[in-house]
Amino acid sequence: MKKRSLIQPRIVPVDLGKIPDAKRISLQNNIPVLLIQAGTEDISRIEFTLSAGSVMENLPLLASTANMMLAEGTKNYTAVKLNKTLDFYGSFYNLFAERDRAGIVIYCLNKHLEKILGLASEILFHPVFPPDELKTLMKKRLSWYLINREKVNSLAMDQFFESIFGSSHPYGRKVIADDFNKIDNAALKDFHSGFYRPETLAIIVAGNIHENTVDLLDHYFGKVVSETIRPTVPGRIPERQKNRKVHIDKPGAVQTAIAIGSSTINKRHPDYPGLKVLNVVLGGYFGSRLMKNIREARGYTYGINSSVHSLDLSGYQIISAEVSKKNTQNAVEEIFKEISLLQRVPPENEELAVIKNYMLGEMVRMFDGPFAIAESFRSAWEFGLDNTYYYRLAEKIKSIESDEITSLAKTYYDIDELYEITAG
Amino acid sequence: MIKFNRICLSNGLRVLVHEDRSTPLVAMNILYDVGSRDEDPDNTGMAHLFEHLMFGGTASIPEFDRHLQIAGGENNAFTNPDITDYYITLPANNIETGFWLESDRMHSIDFSQKNLDIQKNVVIEEFNQRYLNQPYGDAMLLLRPLSYKVHPYRWPTIGMEIDHIRNTPLHKIKEFFYSHYAPDNAILTLTGNITTDYAFRLAEKWFGSIEKRFVTPRNLPAEPLQTEERILTAERDVPASALYKAWHIGPRLNSNFYTLDLITDLLAGGESGRLYTKLVREKKLFTEINAYITSDIDPGLVIFHGKTMKGIDIYKANDEVNNIILTLKEKQVPVPEMEKVKNKYESANIYSNTNILNKALNLAYYELLGNPDMINTEVDLYRNTDKAMVLEAAGKYFTDINCSTLFYKSIRDSSK
Repeated sequence: MKKRSLIQPRIVPVDLGKIPDAKRISLQNNIPVLLIQAGTEDISRIEFTLSAGSVMENLPLLASTANMMLAEGTKNYTAVKLNKTLDFYGSFYNLFAERDRAGIVIYCLNKHLEKILGLASEILFHPVFPPDELKTLMKKRLSWYLINREKVNSLAMDQFFESIFGSSHPYGRKVIADDFNKIDNAALKDFHSGFYRPETLAIIVAGNIHENTVDLLDHYFGKVVSETIRPTVPGRIPERQKNRKVHIDKPGAVQTAIAIGSSTINKRHPDYPGLKVLNVVLGGYFGSRLMKNIREARGYTYGINSSVHSLDLSGYQIISAEVSKKNTQNAVEEIFKEISLLQRVPPENEELAVIKNYMLGEMVRMFDGPFAIAESFRSAWEFGLDNTYYYRLAEKIKSIESDEITSLAKTYYDIDELYEITAG
Repeated sequence: MIKFNRICLSNGLRVLVHEDRSTPLVAMNILYDVGSRDEDPDNTGMAHLFEHLMFGGTASIPEFDRHLQIAGGENNAFTNPDITDYYITLPANNIETGFWLESDRMHSIDFSQKNLDIQKNVVIEEFNQRYLNQPYGDAMLLLRPLSYKVHPYRWPTIGMEIDHIRNTPLHKIKEFFYSHYAPDNAILTLTGNITTDYAFRLAEKWFGSIEKRFVTPRNLPAEPLQTEERILTAERDVPASALYKAWHIGPRLNSNFYTLDLITDLLAGGESGRLYTKLVREKKLFTEINAYITSDIDPGLVIFHGKTMKGIDIYKANDEVNNIILTLKEKQVPVPEMEKVKNKYESANIYSNTNILNKALNLAYYELLGNPDMINTEVDLYRNTDKAMVLEAAGKYFTDINCSTLFYKSIRDSSK
């Protein structure tokens, strides 16, 4: 038998290096365009992002329905013809409507770029919201909603957002079955003309950028002008609810979904990078405190995860897991124990060293390839930030010390301020 | 075009390398030629449970994940009926850590009763979370044994029942390792920012000394030809009824595979697929609808599933699905529609190859199928498919006696 070499290879500190930057230009009508040259294939990922998220809506489901109806019929195309054409050119698209922003991401082969941009302009600026398609969509959405009511995870998440952001704010408002009957063609047209407009649009192109890419964008999007006045949206502030502990009963459920967390700071706050590191220690990777305790030591769950998210008007941090019903209480207790431990005992340097390298490796992955770069770029850009945010994050990952973790845990994971939501 | 080089070490480990200098990372993929089809019928779920145990450490490296994380790496794994696959991405200058870790756990792992007991609980919770505590979650658990009566594809990868997982003894775990985890039963691929020479040298250095294990040859019972239509009805407390259908097809390497894959795209590829256009948009029978090919190595299935709109008669919905299928058998597909699905396949393939992990897995998988060049040539086989081949394949496979149908009925939608 040959002898196995067992000497561990030397590990080189992970270096983020230079983050690819975007070239910024403006179209004739001032629509900002960010161009990211990356990758080996002759393709593009084109993201059209607008301030047209649910925070702008005065009727539940309006923002998401307006978005989902964009490709359901336009001035020059029926829904069927539009989708057949997009498919024929081998493109893929995702419509998205989030809390703050909405839009469309299209993946296409550059040889069809011109055709695809023409279709994108139809989708974004000339939808007609046909009543028949709307009726079908609302029936579908109601059905998905009813299926989601059967999932303990959905029940817990909806309650979590209502608890931390309030029932009257679009960030927290729960949807009810009757909401699906209230959207009509007029409301959609109104929302569209108010919020799908050049002043709120940005275009992010990533992939192999051709010489004529900008000219094509200018041709299809540089001449669009708004015909209406931009509506003012009342500045509503999310307000958390009083009750910190809510259980939603789901008879017959085999597992209970747990959601523990609170609203928090967002990317614009100087503590945010430190909070990101703290979150990874707690539950942000496979070797996290919560995974080691709740999954690997006790086998209560398939997975437990803690994450921090930025929103324009707020942010939130959430610990979530689905656990066997009989272990629910034990799991909740262990989660609070882990938080409390982080507030009292600074992590050992060895643990912190693992996390630092892991997080720097994650950052390298966040900038690997045109699609990943575009997503990372977008998620800083929408908060008015650029790559300096990522350099600051990388710097914080390298420099943070154990005491700062403890102090951040005390500030941002105050146990009296955390909401404990269970469904099952 | 994905260029690659291949060697086979003296212990039988096959190594393939594709250089991509546009990334700072290297992806490392190890595919073991073992899946749930290799399980004992009384002990299903073993391959997947074993995948969990592979992260439990070894005598020489007790904590697998921690070392990878220190090196800035990330990893995961999956098990399916045919294969168990482990993948890692690392910053290029730390790739040797991946070799160190993967070769160590191929060499031997630490089998402790305690770790086994915990991972059994984790997998049972996975079973609960994904199959039992989800609306419609058990549908595939019902459809598989309806379609397969003999072949091990009759049980799902998670296991036939929770008791199989709960009752797995430690000695069976050990046997499973030594009979399936071996250099001569694995394929190692590296893609990304690494030179071929360096990758081959590291492969020899770390894996070269692991001895061949003479894996038991696979000898699975063939599924007998289905001779009559199969129907199963299940009643569940879900908001809407759902319909599931499965037709037997040939193995992955059958020349019909590409035609059948394109047929599922004609039916359900994107928003413009026939099923969506006719049965969701026009007739409003379903709220969601899908059709796909299972891509199993042994004879697989084309699977259809759809959830009905509230108040729709599930038997009427089934008739309408059958009508769409009938059209495929009777009328030639118009040329532009054929072009559309081929274009879409080709572009999906290009998008997928922007990712080094996808390339690493695909290379390993084609090597397993016996020809890694397929990563570049398969697209031509899709391109060469024509409307006559569609007509022929549809006529051959989409027959009633080759079909299993599951009526998953909502007890709430009482009108039907």
